[in-house]
Amino acid sequence: MSVMSAGTEARPSPWRAGLGRLAAGTALLTAVAMLPWLSGNDPALTVLRARSADQDPTPAQLAAVREQLGLDEGPFTHLAHWLGGLPRGDAGTSWVSGEAVLPQVTGAFAVSFTLMLGALVVTVAVAALASARTLYLGSRRRLHRGSGAIGVAVLAALPKFLLASLLATVCGVWLGWFPSSGWAGPASLVLPALALGVPSGAMIGGLLDQSLPAAFNEPWARTWHAYGYAPGRVAQHALRRALAGVLPQLLPTVVALVGGAVAVEKIFNIPGLGRLALDAAIAQDLPPLQTATLALILLGVVAGLLIQALRRALLGPALRDGALPAPHAPAASRGRFTRWAAVACGLVLLALVTAGLLRDPLHVDTAARLLPPSAAHPLGTDALGRDLLARLGHGALRTVGVALAVTAVCTLAGLLLGMAAQVGAGLTEVVSTMPAVLAGMLTTAVTGPSASGAALAVCLVGWTPYAAQAAALLEQERASGHMLASVSFGAGPGYLLRYHLLPAVLPGVLRNALLRLPTTVLVLASLGFLGLGEQPPTAEWGRLLSENQPYVELAPWTVLGPACALVLLSVLAVSATDAVAGRGPASVRTSRGSRGSDGKTFGRDTIPVIVSRSS
Amino acid sequence: MRSTSRGLLFALALTPLLTGCFVAGEEGSGSDANGGSAGRLRVALAVPPVQALSPYSNDATVLSKLSVAEGLTALDQNGAAAPALAKSWKQINPTSWTFELRKATFQDGTPVTAESVVDALDHANAAEPKPRVLSDVTLTAKADDADTVTISTKAADPVLPLRLASPALAVLAGKAYGKDGTVSPIGTGTGPFEITKLIGKSKVALDRYDGYWGGKAKAPGIDVTWIADGTARANALRGGDVDIAEWIPTAQAKLLDAKTRHEVPSVRTDSLVLNTGSGLFTDPALRAAAREAVDGSALVDSVFGGYADPAQGLFGPAVSWAADQRVQVTGRAKAATPTQVKAETKGETLRLATYTNRAELPEAATVLQQQLEKAGFTVKQDVREYTQMEADLLAGKYDALVFSRVTLLDTGDAVAYLASDYTSDGVYNIAGLKDSEVDRAIKSAAEEGDTTKRRQKIMAAEAEILRTDAVVPLVHEKVVQGIATDVEGVLLDPRERSLIDVDTHLK
Repeated sequence: MSVMSAGTEARPSPWRAGLGRLAAGTALLTAVAMLPWLSGNDPALTVLRARSADQDPTPAQLAAVREQLGLDEGPFTHLAHWLGGLPRGDAGTSWVSGEAVLPQVTGAFAVSFTLMLGALVVTVAVAALASARTLYLGSRRRLHRGSGAIGVAVLAALPKFLLASLLATVCGVWLGWFPSSGWAGPASLVLPALALGVPSGAMIGGLLDQSLPAAFNEPWARTWHAYGYAPGRVAQHALRRALAGVLPQLLPTVVALVGGAVAVEKIFNIPGLGRLALDAAIAQDLPPLQTATLALILLGVVAGLLIQALRRALLGPALRDGALPAPHAPAASRGRFTRWAAVACGLVLLALVTAGLLRDPLHVDTAARLLPPSAAHPLGTDALGRDLLARLGHGALRTVGVALAVTAVCTLAGLLLGMAAQVGAGLTEVVSTMPAVLAGMLTTAVTGPSASGAALAVCLVGWTPYAAQAAALLEQERASGHMLASVSFGAGPGYLLRYHLLPAVLPGVLRNALLRLPTTVLVLASLGFLGLGEQPPTAEWGRLLSENQPYVELAPWTVLGPACALVLLSVLAVSATDAVAGRGPASVRTSRGSRGSDGKTFGRDTIPVIVSRSS
Repeated sequence: MRSTSRGLLFALALTPLLTGCFVAGEEGSGSDANGGSAGRLRVALAVPPVQALSPYSNDATVLSKLSVAEGLTALDQNGAAAPALAKSWKQINPTSWTFELRKATFQDGTPVTAESVVDALDHANAAEPKPRVLSDVTLTAKADDADTVTISTKAADPVLPLRLASPALAVLAGKAYGKDGTVSPIGTGTGPFEITKLIGKSKVALDRYDGYWGGKAKAPGIDVTWIADGTARANALRGGDVDIAEWIPTAQAKLLDAKTRHEVPSVRTDSLVLNTGSGLFTDPALRAAAREAVDGSALVDSVFGGYADPAQGLFGPAVSWAADQRVQVTGRAKAATPTQVKAETKGETLRLATYTNRAELPEAATVLQQQLEKAGFTVKQDVREYTQMEADLLAGKYDALVFSRVTLLDTGDAVAYLASDYTSDGVYNIAGLKDSEVDRAIKSAAEEGDTTKRRQKIMAAEAEILRTDAVVPLVHEKVVQGIATDVEGVLLDPRERSLIDVDTHLK
């Protein structure tokens, strides 16, 4: 593992990284190519069903389809044939429609790519707003208290499909500002871009906001301030410093929307790649599915390389010369407000759950349908007259437990793969853009429908943000002067891991994981249609949101309760860790900071660094 | 380095302008003397095309909904055969019929002749896989003279004129049929509207075909958008983006203005299918217990928001003749009491399946679960996307299924549904029913040529099937069509085969 060579070999060799990408891409494509044969669902039946809903599945009809598609030839013949056609620009014909696949996929890709760029613009704007306060105060050295992460936690917890429904109804139907659906011109881009970009922006903004104080805490910033540099200039350079660690998050957060925005594409009726891939996967229509997968793999690799180039451009020679300090946040107090928020959220959630647990979550009463909140039903009832408070309470433990477990596994896997930079980079890029649904399909093919299947499927793809982040932060840490110093003083890999690498990576990754907690809940529930996860009528927060989504306008309280619970959870998680990290004497960061300033260990402050040249 | 990053950012910022990849609102070529696209109907359909509008696929109904293509016959209000491209027909002997064609032209200008009809039917016969409507019949067509066609079947087929009304047997111009087996209805139909441009799975534009034999259509053209999501369809109508939106989900119907909301009884019946072949429900007493426990009328006002009728049998109000000829069900098994159910099942779980494709079904399953639990069953649900579970359903891996089924298939004849779903050798026999009485009743109905007697026998077969408790009808669905107040003449068809015809127009 490359932890062993940490510090000495800062950069992965381009050849090995390229090989990693190739291997990961090939593995994924092969897995997809096997899908119709592995799934246990006869592809002849699913294709027949996709073509005609009331066609009788007689053996003769199925045999006709099987022969027409050459299903008996097996997966490898098909894969070889498809690969052979690619250099000629021929990606085969769809099994369902018989039409050429390439124009369909490129068309859908262009649509989704445009949508993603729109979402990127919104993401950047929201992220800028989220980190504006820290940037302003930090550049003037008035950042005495860490900014509250509460705002970003709230926004990041908003389910995208709910935001999309809301925007379509309010801005599309009621106000008529933008088209409520369709893809007819730039005006149709606005609402979906907002629905996708706001939560992503909050996520990115939250991470940026967390790493900025560390940049302002670096010696150069102090020196520049003392010399009277303009705050704008300090801010600009601090931003460059912090961005380098956050940029890789764009890949799994925004670029992944090209294939992973199915819900929003449906709500706004956008003919994008996500829907194309989902339809193809359900019909087991292999050629479009393969081609879409290939497009997403290529997108992931290209975007990954681009982001890497941007990072190099931002950090400049400092990265190359091993002259970076790793960004470590100052042990600033997070303020009373954060602590109070954590306590308040915790109490409210506890009250909700306790009250809910005392009620029956499964009792159906069709006469009490969609009742607004009242004394009898404090959060109202759903479409079947079930008490929403009860469903919320009974779903809490399972929802939070599974989401936390999945997040823990993903974080761990992400850290490990992030440390194995050479293999990990390719794999991260390739998997980043994969929609969770595809992982779900592959999981069902292997394990069949099961309660634990959803968790497994999400673990398969969910580690990428952490791997990308860990790899970026580690690269910077390895390029730092104090690492070099440690190594030259004879520090072993264990020491480096414990005192340099993990402390550099953990706070950021932890913040990232907690900000993504609500998304994990929703993704877990979104795989239900494949038979993965707990079956209804079991209460679960993600399901509460998706099963009540059609009633958003008719009975807003049916989604308000679960959405608020998700927001509370997110705020609680983020502010609680902030509060603990801010004052905990046992925290790694604080102990390291004090030792560093004592000069007893290889303190980074003692080594002069140049972040970058001003230009 | 800095300049590179700026260059990259600049390129990124430019891309949206360069890609220009929006699906432009094609307005067809409606810029005739009347000026622009005024009067064109804007329609939101629910099911995107799967095979570029080939009549041998799901897309066939689009051709009949939009009056693009026609067959020899059509179905009238009561579900009887009515003249279309054939102005009359008569049965010569049990296996042959002659059809007299009317003077008509295809949209490409060529005349409709006996030869073109024979050609069209031959292509449908040769299609792989065969269209459903031809799956249980072998027919040969022969041109007698320029406007007479003789169609003979291998075995007697009393419903041949109904069969020919199927959109899959639409007669298209010769150039529609490609060498590779594909069929393109673009500019090759005979109806009052002609497809001019199909844009992938998102839009299709139609212009009026002035040479239509039935007179000129009142609307100059149609612009169709496919919107798969029900909420988005309702939104499109409410936002004024379309004039007609089909299939508004029951959860959204209340949000529509009452004047734009039109309900149509549908030929779709939702029922609880019990697996008689294996598992719990091989025991008739348990089936009877389930039948007594389940109350479909509880679903009407809740899950279906009032857009359904309580079940009367397999066939609902949309099958107009069914109610008058319904046969009383007799000889049912005696239901087990909850205590007996508990003892009989010995804690074995009832696997209750349903699918997510129709939003109401999972909700209905949850209501049924509670009803069944009251009767002593232990129930576990399995809810997935339909294609994810169809193979399991056909293999009998569930005890019960909440199922939504069209009772008049594309033949327009009820026997086809009964035969495929309830006979011993039926290919869609999810109930695993093997009952000689049922088989005999369905066979006898299938062979009956006289319409009145056939209907009587169909209802007798319905009673036989219900006697076995293999299926418990729950509700008959209603379809909500959203139609803007300034549109006139939209067809509200229970069979969901027609929507727009020559008389449909904007006020």
